[in-house]
Amino acid sequence: MNSLTQHAGVLAPVALGAVAIWTLLPRQGNRAWVLGGMCGLAAVLAILGRLAPPTGEWLRDGLFYLFGGGAIVCGAMMITDRNPVYAALWFALVTLSTCGLFLLNSAPFLSVATVIVYAGAIVVTFLFVIMLAHQGGTGGCDSVAYQPVLGTISGFLLMGALLYTLQQWGGIDQKPEAYAARPAAFALPPHEVESNPLSRPRLGDMGSLNGVGRSLFGDYLFAVELAGAVLLIATIGAIAIAPRRSQGHL
Amino acid sequence: MIELQGQLAVGAILFALGAIGFLTRRNLILMMLSAEMMLHGVSINLTAFGAYHHNSSGQVFTIFVLTIAACEAGLSLALILTLYQRRKSLDVQLWSNLGEPDLPRLVDESAPPSHPLPPADLPHLTPAGAMPAGPKHLTKA
Repeated sequence: MNSLTQHAGVLAPVALGAVAIWTLLPRQGNRAWVLGGMCGLAAVLAILGRLAPPTGEWLRDGLFYLFGGGAIVCGAMMITDRNPVYAALWFALVTLSTCGLFLLNSAPFLSVATVIVYAGAIVVTFLFVIMLAHQGGTGGCDSVAYQPVLGTISGFLLMGALLYTLQQWGGIDQKPEAYAARPAAFALPPHEVESNPLSRPRLGDMGSLNGVGRSLFGDYLFAVELAGAVLLIATIGAIAIAPRRSQGHL
Repeated sequence: MIELQGQLAVGAILFALGAIGFLTRRNLILMMLSAEMMLHGVSINLTAFGAYHHNSSGQVFTIFVLTIAACEAGLSLALILTLYQRRKSLDVQLWSNLGEPDLPRLVDESAPPSHPLPPADLPHLTPAGAMPAGPKHLTKA
């Protein structure tokens, strides 16, 4: 109980977020979306303020809060929206926020590639299927969540455990002395850990396409070949599974 | 120096939200989108650690995650189309009879009936007078 009260700064926003998600999940009748939205926003602000304190660079902090908070809010809107088309569009916003975080992590090529792959291809394909499947009408299975209490509890148990662990090694200044040694070793980049030789960026190479390409086709060449094989097999499988046009039209 | 802890927190929250969406939504497509959101959380973690340790391995792993996500999307779309063709609905609960018949069912919730779309208010062409008679030399008197 003592440790629970000690870590109430993380566990209380998680509980608040669970209440918000449970309130907002689709159900019959009206949802208390004002209460749920307020609870969710308070939880997001509390958890980001606790786990990601401002580092002092105002531009970087602002961008991080914009993209991180945007990803979380849009993700919550996606899983709670009744209309599947809107849910797919919220997912596109989640993808864009994730790409912003990639940019902050000095991965511009990945950011652009993710925009092209997800927002350009996957979301459009999903919208195509949704519109194909909803010629008959709306509502039905999307207006009621399946087992909202059990799903919310299990998901937020997972989230609480993850955030508790993050906070455990993150806030070294508030830890007792027994914990102070190991997190301090982890909070700085460990120089004794050797990375793969071609993955080490040369001077000014970090995040550029040159460095990623050297790592991808140097250290991970076999993995690239395996990924190509997986793509080919997935293509064959999709063609084999997909319904034939002669058996009926969709 | 990047804000590693905040990035990991965002990744963890996205992963848990995707898990909740996968468990509670009944639409097949939204379940797949929730799984993709879990992959987004993982990708944020990978790039954050790559930037933190100052090497390119995190970005390369994220490229592989992207590859697997594309494979998963293609296969799941094919499966969803097949399942939709069988049941004419995207409700995943319609497939709950695939379990063992002698095991107790957890819960048997049936979805409410779907409402038909309201009739579209399409524009009409105004009638433009009587049909003109055919030419005289082609019709029999």
